[in-house]
Amino acid sequence: MMSMVVRQSARAFRVGLVWLGIFLIAMPMLWALLTSLKPKGDTLTFPVAIWPESFTFESYSTLLFDTMFVQLFLNSVVVAVGTTLLVLIVGTLGAYGLTRFKFRGAELGAATILFTYFLPSTIIVVPIYLTINQLGLSDTLTGLVLSYTTFALPFALWMLRLFFQTLPVEIEQAARVDGASRLGLFFEIVLPQALPGIIATSLFTFIIAYNEYLFSFIFINSDAKKTLPVGINFIVKTSYEIEWNIVMAASVLMTLPVLIVIVSCQRYLLSGFGVGNTKG
Amino acid sequence: MATVRLSTLKKVFGTNAPAVDVDELKIENGEFLTLLGPSGCGKSTLLRMLAGLETPTSGRIMFDERIVNELDPAERNIAMVFQNYALYPHMTVAENVGYPLKKRGVPKDERTARIAEIAALLKIDMLLDRKPRQLSGGQQQRVALGRAMIRNPAVYLFDEPLSNLDAALRSYMRNELIRLHAKLRGTMVFVTHDQVEAMTMSTRIAVMEAGCIQQLATPDEIYERPATKFVAGFVGTPAMNFIEAEVVPDGATARIKAGDFTLDVTQPDGMTAPLQGPLTLGIRPEHILLGQGTDKAEITVVESLGNEQIITIDTGRRELVLRSTSGEKHRIGEHVTYALRPDRLHFFAADTGRRIGPN
Amino acid sequence: MTLALDAPAARKSWRVSDPMLGFLLVLPSLLLFLGLIVYPLFQAFVLSFHDVSTLTLEGEYVGLKNYEDVLGRSEFWISFGNTVIWTVGSLIGQISLGILIALLLNTQFRGRSIARGVMLMPYMLSSVVTVMIWQWMLNDLYGVVDATLMAWGVTDMPVPWLTRMPNAMITTIMIGTWKLFPFVVITILARLQTIPEQLYEAAKIDGAGPFARFLDITLPQIKSVLLFILLLRGIWDFKEFDLIFLMTGGGPQIGTQTLPLLIYKEAFGQLHLGRGAAIAILMLIIMTIMFFIYLWYYQREEKRAAQ
Repeated sequence: MMSMVVRQSARAFRVGLVWLGIFLIAMPMLWALLTSLKPKGDTLTFPVAIWPESFTFESYSTLLFDTMFVQLFLNSVVVAVGTTLLVLIVGTLGAYGLTRFKFRGAELGAATILFTYFLPSTIIVVPIYLTINQLGLSDTLTGLVLSYTTFALPFALWMLRLFFQTLPVEIEQAARVDGASRLGLFFEIVLPQALPGIIATSLFTFIIAYNEYLFSFIFINSDAKKTLPVGINFIVKTSYEIEWNIVMAASVLMTLPVLIVIVSCQRYLLSGFGVGNTKG
Repeated sequence: MATVRLSTLKKVFGTNAPAVDVDELKIENGEFLTLLGPSGCGKSTLLRMLAGLETPTSGRIMFDERIVNELDPAERNIAMVFQNYALYPHMTVAENVGYPLKKRGVPKDERTARIAEIAALLKIDMLLDRKPRQLSGGQQQRVALGRAMIRNPAVYLFDEPLSNLDAALRSYMRNELIRLHAKLRGTMVFVTHDQVEAMTMSTRIAVMEAGCIQQLATPDEIYERPATKFVAGFVGTPAMNFIEAEVVPDGATARIKAGDFTLDVTQPDGMTAPLQGPLTLGIRPEHILLGQGTDKAEITVVESLGNEQIITIDTGRRELVLRSTSGEKHRIGEHVTYALRPDRLHFFAADTGRRIGPN
Repeated sequence: MTLALDAPAARKSWRVSDPMLGFLLVLPSLLLFLGLIVYPLFQAFVLSFHDVSTLTLEGEYVGLKNYEDVLGRSEFWISFGNTVIWTVGSLIGQISLGILIALLLNTQFRGRSIARGVMLMPYMLSSVVTVMIWQWMLNDLYGVVDATLMAWGVTDMPVPWLTRMPNAMITTIMIGTWKLFPFVVITILARLQTIPEQLYEAAKIDGAGPFARFLDITLPQIKSVLLFILLLRGIWDFKEFDLIFLMTGGGPQIGTQTLPLLIYKEAFGQLHLGRGAAIAILMLIIMTIMFFIYLWYYQREEKRAAQ
């Protein structure tokens, strides 16, 4: 009996520890949320007031109606969706080709993908700047999408290939015996099975592209074409004095799409972590 | 239905020894032929070449005298049942079964009718709306069979379809397959490493080892007159006992010396040369008789199966396994006499392992 | 069995061979690869032998001068050292915090999936957001961290988190740890869940306590995945730009300036595109060595798994 009590309280202690850890880790994000709900004056008090006197959505309305936030957000979404579509369409075909077909250079192809998967954007940024300029695409969202494929495509190919490798090849052979053509079975048999993997890859690609900073920072000059990560900094820095409630509101709003993706698709994201490991 | 014929068929992977090397194999129309052998003997590769999933390195595959080497699996009009069933996970049972018809452009009404017919035959009609993951192993197996049966294929190919089922279900499905074959009269090629499946279902068995067919014969013939020591040892449970022996011919008899015993047997009729020299003697467990003769041994293991006992005896030189159906209960440590039935001895050449005896 | 069906015919007219079809499927990826990765990399190589202005994109061949300039100055070596300190420091932080949290999360309790979701968040945050939040928390006048520390009497003055050395590096490493540890948690958690419960039961029966069970069962089982994380995250942290650039801009002076920041500074700050390319190539060489260590390890593990 005694040991049972001891074991149960040890367990309770452990669970308590978990929630304490989670609270500490979530703290900065909670603090950001709290700050964003404070009126302007409340952020600049000394000593620091933890709990605001009143909650207000004033920072959010300022952000949405008096700044370029919405424009920047739309740019980010366009670039992220564009990158995801391009990379997923090209990458799904390519990854399947690399997984299921034997042809000269297939092995080399896979190794190259892995290599470029690790290739840092900081290395590619100098020459890709030149390439995008040569294509006449500097300061355009199209150019940005193309530059994003340098990291998004290897990532998607690598992850999708791992997903395709988990599909039992017998099912595709059965379809061939049953009368499907090789391309036909790709659409009828393979794609439906690979759907969880394709969703996970799309979500990760979207988040990576949505959060990207360096390329956007260097390739886009016009304010109207900036993406959120770069533009937000620019909203913040141009104001005479930093209004932290607005900055935090921007952080929260900017994170919202990512949060929605995580909450609604946690299952897919975790399976993505399982096979692919995401780009950091 | 079709006759299948292979000639000088070879498959080589990389620089290894050929995975399959078959001179000639003719599978008759409506025959149930089993490819039997241990894993890695090339039986699955052979089947996959028939399906068109592997390309032969050389040689020909003919369905009804038509060479099909160059044809896609889809164009060969074959049906195949895989070991893990390979059901399409995102389709319902009805869609799975109907898929081959859909690929052949059969109109929907006709498809539905055919699916219903097959489902009734296989007793899966109440499962038609389910997805494969909601089915038990046995049910998945039936769906895979249904998908194979729904078109009238030239050949049915089975790649170890029963090996993922538990023992009871396996024996039940064996029974089902025998019935189905009797009903459909289709040409069926069945790959297995399980000799019981091969013995119970086949019209003929091709025993394979290292890519080659060791013996092609009816199940009885394989059991009674194994062509090589390998076949003799592979088919039959418990396995045949082998004894290295020296034979000295003496007129119409041959004297077999095996260290601890000698045995005089009549030279079999129809031999080109008398039995002589070093050879391997083979005797099945049921042909060793306890309590007879004068040779002595001690019982070391007794496995009781209720109606019979599998007994291991130690003769001092070797262990022999025998089957006792006398009903007398033997015990470990018991001292017994034993005798080999001289008319049931098999002889194999010591070097090549080939059967020695009248052909 | 009345319905006789012929094999589908008339598909032979435009048959593509299997290898050809495979190649065609890969072709779009290949073209993007060649155009956007291979060609630019080649260009970076060529560029590193030229003195090119970032504004005009014109310049002349100067041979090895860029490399001599770069390697001859202490700034490169200081940045290299900073990169190593940052990489090693944040790796130690991520992995120890990651293992701890993964072990805690590897029990059944109510709200576990919420806990996991919250845990994942910092990793999914944009670097910009991460930096804005932490700059606010560490703000010298109104920051909650200094305020709390002063309220508890730990310090009586705001701490110069980012304006002094080695504070700036330590702060950056700690923030990096906070942002990047979820990767370790998720990867290790996935591995922990594959350890069969029977192993722990067997160990209990054999008399092993909780600590012995961790040392003798858990640790050997996660060893290979730990090494994998170490290599993978090592490569990725080595090239980190956003977080450090936004947090400190490399400062104070060049106290937290890592190689990626140096590339940016040379190519886009001082407009020496060629010199930037030269540093990029040098970094590429270092990364390639790390990559081949990874590849060697990966293949060895696959071989081991196949056995």
